[in-house]
Amino acid sequence: MLRGLCGKKLGAVGLKFRRDLYVIVTGIVAVSLFIGALAGWLDAGTEEGWRFAGYVQRAPLVLVCYVVGAVGVIWLGWYWLKLAGGTTSIARRLKKETADCRLSIADCKSKIGNRKSKISKVDKLSEAIAERIDSYSSVIGELEKQIEDLQIQIQLTQRQKRNIEAIIYSIRDAVIVIDEFDRLLMANEAAGRLFNFDFRSSQRKPIDELVFSEEGDAGKNEFVDFLRQSRQSKVRATRREIEFSGARTFDCIVSCVYDERGQICGVVAVLHDITREKEISQMKNDFVSQVSHELKTPLASISAYSEMLLDGEAKDGRMRKEFYSVIQSQAQRLNRLIEDILNTSRIESGLIKVERAPLSLAILIEEQLQMIKSYAEEKNIEIIAQKPIVFNQVYADKDMISQVIVNLLSNAVKYTPGGGSIKIETEVDETADIARVSITDTGVGIPEDEIEHVFDKFYRVGANESCAKGTGLGLNLVKQIIEKVHDGRVFVASEPGVGSTFGFELPLATRGAVEAVV
Amino acid sequence: MAEKKVLVVDDEIHIVYVAAIKLRNNGYEVVTATNGAEAFELACAEKPDIIVTDFQMPVMTGLEFVEKIRQNEETKDIPVILLTARSFAISKEQEQDLQISGCLSKPFSPRELLENIEDILYQRAVVNREA
Repeated sequence: MLRGLCGKKLGAVGLKFRRDLYVIVTGIVAVSLFIGALAGWLDAGTEEGWRFAGYVQRAPLVLVCYVVGAVGVIWLGWYWLKLAGGTTSIARRLKKETADCRLSIADCKSKIGNRKSKISKVDKLSEAIAERIDSYSSVIGELEKQIEDLQIQIQLTQRQKRNIEAIIYSIRDAVIVIDEFDRLLMANEAAGRLFNFDFRSSQRKPIDELVFSEEGDAGKNEFVDFLRQSRQSKVRATRREIEFSGARTFDCIVSCVYDERGQICGVVAVLHDITREKEISQMKNDFVSQVSHELKTPLASISAYSEMLLDGEAKDGRMRKEFYSVIQSQAQRLNRLIEDILNTSRIESGLIKVERAPLSLAILIEEQLQMIKSYAEEKNIEIIAQKPIVFNQVYADKDMISQVIVNLLSNAVKYTPGGGSIKIETEVDETADIARVSITDTGVGIPEDEIEHVFDKFYRVGANESCAKGTGLGLNLVKQIIEKVHDGRVFVASEPGVGSTFGFELPLATRGAVEAVV
Repeated sequence: MAEKKVLVVDDEIHIVYVAAIKLRNNGYEVVTATNGAEAFELACAEKPDIIVTDFQMPVMTGLEFVEKIRQNEETKDIPVILLTARSFAISKEQEQDLQISGCLSKPFSPRELLENIEDILYQRAVVNREA
C-alpha cells in the first residue's frame, strides 16, 4: 500500500515531469531558432553572416522568429527556472514524499511490528485462553458430573423423604414434630384426626394454635404444655400418660432432637392410644380381684367348717356329717372354678384335649338339671324341660358340652329372681344340619349395648353385677367350647326386665363328620 | 343376762350357717340374712347388738347396707364387723366414715369372729357404763 501510495505520488510527479518535458522540448526548439537567428546576425560580419543576416533583415518572418525565439527563450528561461524550481520542488517533494513514504513505511513497519507483536501477544493470549478454556472445560465437566451426582442424591433424598413420610403417615400412632420455636414441622394423619387439624397444610403453624382446645379439653392443653416443658428442660426422652376428652388415654413419648452442635432443633412426640390396654388391664385387675374373691368364698367355708369340727362345735353325728358334706361340696366348687379358669386358658392356647363321641344333648341337659335343681328350688324358680326326642344328635366332647349346659343353666338361675321360670328346648334342624339348644329365663335381662360383649372374657353386665356373683368367665368358656372346639355357634337374645335366651348350635353327627374325625 | 343379738349377713349360706352355729354355741342369739336389703329390714326390726356383714352381696352390697343403717336413727349406733374376701376392699377413711368396728378377711376363723364380737361388745359396754 505504501509502495502504491509512493508510486502514485511518483507517478503523479512523473506525469507532470513528462508534461514539463514537452514544454522543455518546445522551449529548446524555440531557443534554438533564436539562437540560430542570433548567430546569423552575429555572423553578419561575415559574408555568410551577412547573407543570413540579410535574410533576417529582409524577412519579417525572420523577425518574427527572432521575436518568437526571444520570447521563447525568455519564456523558456522562465519556465526552466520554474521547472527547475518545480523540478526542484518536485524533487524536494519527491524527496519529502519519499521521506514521508519512508517514514510511512517505517511507521507502517513499526505499526506492522507493533501489530505483529500485538498479534503475537494476542496469539499467546489466545493460546492461554484456549488453555484456560480447556482447563475450565474439564472443571465444568467435573462440575456437571458433580451436579448430576447431586441431582441423583437429591432425587434419592426426596424419595427417602417421601418413603419416611409415607411410613410416618401410615403409623397408627399420632406423630408430631415441632421445631425449636414450637412450630409444626410434620404430622401424620393420626395426629390430624386426634387434634382435628389438616396435617398436610399446617406446617410452620404454632403448635398451640393447632392443638389448643377452646372447648376445655384439658388433655390437649396438657399435651402442649408437656411439649413445651420437654423442650425447655432439654430432656432426651420422657413419657407421660395423658387423658383426652372422650375417656381416651394416650401414652405420650416426647424426645428432643439435637443438631450437630448439640442444640435442640426440634421435638418429636408419639402418642400411642392405650385406652383399650388400660381397659384390659383394669378388666384383668378386676378379674384377679373377682377370682380371688370367688376362690376365697368356698375356701372360707372349708376353713370355717374344719375349725368348727376341730373345736368340737358339731354337737352330734348328724351335724358333723353335715359339716363334712359342706367341706366336700365347697372343695368341689373350688375345684370347678379353678378348672374353669384353666380350661379357658387351655382352649385359648389350643392345648386342651378333646374326646369326641356321639352324644345326646337332651340327655346331657337332663343330667345337668339334676345338679342345679336344688339351687333353683331355693329360689323358687320353675324349670321346664322338653323330653329328649333324638339320641346321638352330635359328635362332641361330653365333659365340655356338660360344662356348657351347666354354665348356661346356672346363669339362668342366678339372674332370675325368685318365682321366675326357666325353659329349656332342644331341636334338630336337618335342613341346616344342626342341633340347637335354647335356655330362656324370666330374669333381669341384658341392656342392648352390652349384649355383644356378654361372651367376652371377664365381661360382666354392669347393671347385673349386684344381682349375682361371677367371674365373667362362664359365658366365655361356653363360647370357646362351642365355637372354637366344636365349630358350633352361640347366640343370645334379651330384653331388660323381661328375660334372656341363651343357646348354642352344634353340627349334627353325620356319618361324614364322624368319619372325618375318626 | 340377756343374750346379745347378732345379725349375720352373707349371700353364702354356708358362711351364715357356720357363723350362726358358732355364735349360738357361745350364747348369742343369731338372726341371718342373705342380702343387704333383707338385712336392713331385720336390723330395723330386731335391733341387734352387733352386725356381721359380708362386703360383696347381690341386691345391696355390704357397704351400701352399712351406709343405710348409719342414716337410720334406730340403727346408726350398731357396731359393724365387715367380712371381705378382697384385700384393701375398704379404705381407712371409709372405715372411719362408716364407723366400721372391725374387718375380717375371708377365709375367716369362726373363733376369731367370736373373739372380735366379744371385744367390741365389751368395749361398747364399758363406754356406755362410763357415759
